[in-house]
Amino acid sequence: MADTSVIGRASFVRGRVTGDGDLEIAGRVEGEIAVSGEVVVEATGLVAANIEGRRIIVRGAVKGDLVASELVSLEATARVVGDLRAPRIAIAQGGLVRGQVATSGGGAARPRAAQATAARAPARETARREEPRREEARREEPRRVVPAPAPSKAAPAKASPAKVESKANGPAPRGATIAGSRVGPPPPVVPVLKKGTKAVQKKR
Amino acid sequence: MARTGRADVGREAVIGRTTRVRGRIAGEGDLLVEGVVEGDVTLRGDLTVAEGASATSNVEAQAVTVNGALEGDVRARAVTVGGSARLRGDVVAEAFAIEEGAEVIGRFEADFELPPELTGSGSGGKRR
Amino acid sequence: MASTVIGAGITIEGEITTDEDVTVQGTLRGKLVAKDAVTVEHGGVVEADVTGGPVSVAGSITGNISSSDRVDLQNGAKVVGNVRATRITIADGAQFKGNVDMDV
Repeated sequence: MADTSVIGRASFVRGRVTGDGDLEIAGRVEGEIAVSGEVVVEATGLVAANIEGRRIIVRGAVKGDLVASELVSLEATARVVGDLRAPRIAIAQGGLVRGQVATSGGGAARPRAAQATAARAPARETARREEPRREEARREEPRRVVPAPAPSKAAPAKASPAKVESKANGPAPRGATIAGSRVGPPPPVVPVLKKGTKAVQKKR
Repeated sequence: MARTGRADVGREAVIGRTTRVRGRIAGEGDLLVEGVVEGDVTLRGDLTVAEGASATSNVEAQAVTVNGALEGDVRARAVTVGGSARLRGDVVAEAFAIEEGAEVIGRFEADFELPPELTGSGSGGKRR
Repeated sequence: MASTVIGAGITIEGEITTDEDVTVQGTLRGKLVAKDAVTVEHGGVVEADVTGGPVSVAGSITGNISSSDRVDLQNGAKVVGNVRATRITIADGAQFKGNVDMDV
């Protein structure tokens, strides 16, 4: 009857979730998720795993890459640290992400990574390389994920391709101040660092 | 797509459909690009790249709305990528939205904390 | 409904820890620790030690079952492993290989 699987609010799965069907996550998953259908991470869902599916809808928090053959959609409450890859990608106002976003129709550098688990590892490294805070989080991972295969830690942290950055002529500090000081559109949902600090980090 | 509402039309600059600008653009107000811009754009106001327009620019502005093509890095308070947009570049913003149908390649970066359950060390998360 | 369901096509390799009901229609390899009812439906395959409240099996479990309540092996069930529970029923048509330890 139900070909939807549910990880309930009070459930914690450590390991790999694979197979056919849809998956709804209201609890916690650590490891790896690859299903043929739709994956919904509910607002209460906490996922530390790469997710692969046909459609991926996120309302909760995910640390990991989202790779879908059809659609990745982040709704207003979504918090994602990781890369998004799908032919169609949508982020609702309020949804937040830190990572590479690539619609595969646009000649993405790694459009086919969806099929190859191994190919995704470098992307994860890329996604996390920046802040020391996230660095910590990553070190935490292998010891907590029990049976999942070490997600190819050894893979070289390949630099993400196609940076247009080279031609950035150093963001004028004045501009940064401007952007920060004006009363802007939607208030940040979460604490925001000073603009200046970020400018430094990003143009690594 | 609506430019974030400053009714003050007089402060808006428009680069029309048949106009091509090469060089930097800096300004106090809003800018609507309907034509072609090649060069960095720094605004106190909002930037809108209309459908059919194209900009090869690194952008700093308040709110950036892209419905056409934009190649370059964007730093803004809010970035909206419409369904007809093509965006290639990195985006740093406090808030952003992507409508389905947009072609996007780039790193998106917002400042936020994941819940402590996902960051390993229980450092100042929002939930639970 | 706040419970956990492993659907027919799904395989979980790893550990499930939960405070709520768990229904297995698919496959679970690893470990299952539940506070509440565990149901392995017909077709469900569990290769794991199972801890739970009431445990009802119509599918197969290879592993030890430890229940704070009762264990019911229904017609069609196949269980290889030891069972520890306050009560146990083994229906006609259930296969069972292992020891039973009933706390008296």
